Amino acid sequence: MELIDNLALGFATALTLQNLFYCFIGVLIGTLIGVLPGIGPVATLAMLLPVTYALPPTSALIMLAGIYYGAQYGGSTTAILVNLPGESSSVVTCLDGYQMARRGRAGAALATAALGSFFAGTVGVLMVAALALPMVELAFKFGPAEYFSLMVLGLIGAVVLAGGSLIKAIAMIVLGLLLGLVGTDVNSGVARFSFDIPELADGINFAAVAMGVFGFAEIIANLEHKDKREVFTSKVGKLLPSKEEFKYAYPAVLRGTALGSVLGVLPGGGALLSAFAAYTIEKKISRNPKIPFGKGNIRGVAAPESANNAGAQTSFIPMLTLGIPPNAVMALMVGAMTIHNIQPGPQVMSSNPALFWGLITSMWIGNLMLVVLNLPLIGIWVQLLKVPYRLLYPAILVFCSIGIYSINNNAFDVTVTAVFGLLGYVFYKLRCEPAPLILGFILGPMMEENLRRAMLLSRGDATVFFTRPLSLGLLVAAAVLVVIVALPNIKKKREEAFQEVT
Amino acid sequence: MKIRDQKNFWSGVMFIAFGAFFAGWAQHYDMGSAARMGPAFFPTMLGGLTFLLGIVVLIQSLATEHPDGKLEPVNFRALVLVLGSVVAFGLLLRPAGLLVALFVLVGISSLGSHEFRLRDVLLLSVGMSLLVLAVFIYGLSMTIPVLPSFMRE
Repeated sequence: MELIDNLALGFATALTLQNLFYCFIGVLIGTLIGVLPGIGPVATLAMLLPVTYALPPTSALIMLAGIYYGAQYGGSTTAILVNLPGESSSVVTCLDGYQMARRGRAGAALATAALGSFFAGTVGVLMVAALALPMVELAFKFGPAEYFSLMVLGLIGAVVLAGGSLIKAIAMIVLGLLLGLVGTDVNSGVARFSFDIPELADGINFAAVAMGVFGFAEIIANLEHKDKREVFTSKVGKLLPSKEEFKYAYPAVLRGTALGSVLGVLPGGGALLSAFAAYTIEKKISRNPKIPFGKGNIRGVAAPESANNAGAQTSFIPMLTLGIPPNAVMALMVGAMTIHNIQPGPQVMSSNPALFWGLITSMWIGNLMLVVLNLPLIGIWVQLLKVPYRLLYPAILVFCSIGIYSINNNAFDVTVTAVFGLLGYVFYKLRCEPAPLILGFILGPMMEENLRRAMLLSRGDATVFFTRPLSLGLLVAAAVLVVIVALPNIKKKREEAFQEVT
Repeated sequence: MKIRDQKNFWSGVMFIAFGAFFAGWAQHYDMGSAARMGPAFFPTMLGGLTFLLGIVVLIQSLATEHPDGKLEPVNFRALVLVLGSVVAFGLLLRPAGLLVALFVLVGISSLGSHEFRLRDVLLLSVGMSLLVLAVFIYGLSMTIPVLPSFMRE
């Protein structure tokens, strides 16, 4: 069977000593930043993007992927033990996880989170492997018009499913698209918006934008609040859940996994949305639980933790097969591919099969490492929380600055990053969510290219987007999404849903 | 006329400014035609869209209240010190070498925190220097000048 052959190739790639090593480094760093509140996976990926430049592309992507799903594991540890979401998708885990810890069941909560995540990760990886082939086949049927419409749907979907103001999010996307256009236009050779600065003729460095807007801006924002992190080392207790707890929790793991797998594929989906949705559903399904939700119900840990990990895995599907990132983390993965001169899109599977399948199988291996790594090491992770932020952020700045310098060996990029740090801080002050900007930035040149090609093929007739059935379907879907969210009734519900859990 | 949501008001202003800038500046380039789009076509479209969205956000800010609508004071100290330390690092790296640039970066950025302790900053600088040398210079063998230019061969 082809799938088995592919997976065999993947394992052969992922199990080389070098790739195992980088996978390990990735999940280790991921867990670390997942544990530490105040640094999210997006910022960390942005910071480490330049470092991976020195690595072979497969190892680089394996490591970056490891950081993403490693952070999901790490985040749950902090959530349960200290009642702090180390990472945004663990916000819901705090609710019941910390209550379980207070009742002396911290060990059970941690084990449930880890095992649930591992199960969900395994299913997620299988989903990616199984769906990759049909998705790629579908992608090859796409012409430029379909691609353009797909990107419109992807970008709209990404903001519709997230919280906050819809119009501002769309404006941020368009601004990102514009920033992505800076640099030499491939068709005419004109250096657009470069102001005669030679470095800008190559375009704005992607890592500089991501690192400035997410990394630096986050640090400045964190410095505004006094460092008030306290660590209270609660006893972890027995690690394994009791038989009764296990029986009660496993259906929630299954539901969370299923939900996360589906939501991860959707634009805007991924870990965060999956966790929120899974918690809400568990709360609705479990009528009259013995321990109410919010008071330490084990399902309130099992479902969101499984869902966020499944979502983290399956959000790789649109990125790997179509080259279209469904969320900011995947946008960074696309950026990493471009740094290594790999054009993201359906052709990756045929042109770099070892990279493609190696990455997928490495995710399963990484998940396994995480279970082995996390449960015995919890004590060490908790100690890490005692590192004060005033020591942490200069260290982060050092890594960022060296990393950004080393991409092109020039100081100009460092300055550009600082400028985007300023811009990111302005966004933070004005309640503008920066993630859509990054998505737009990545897709800007691709979108223009496909728009141009589609219009060239149709001889300037813009109706081509509506007369080709696939393209029309995608645009209609995008329009329906906007209309649904704009309806006052649903708008209110959407806001409630995002506020209820936080 | 009353601004009910300051954050959205200034967001609107920001989008309008960005949109006007990009659409306006794009006119330096060739527009082309719908079938053969020139370099100005897409930026003009997007700039116009940003401009319009900015106006909508602005109008909304006059009409609807938001619980988190008030602008909070800017922490200029952290802003200037953090970003300044990064720029200084970039400028110093080539002439003064990695070690000097790193001490400057850690030193200046640490001033941005509420609690500054000289001893910790020095220890952190030394620790980071060792780590960076181990990881970047020896581990990943990056070509970054380590010592100041007059001490190099």
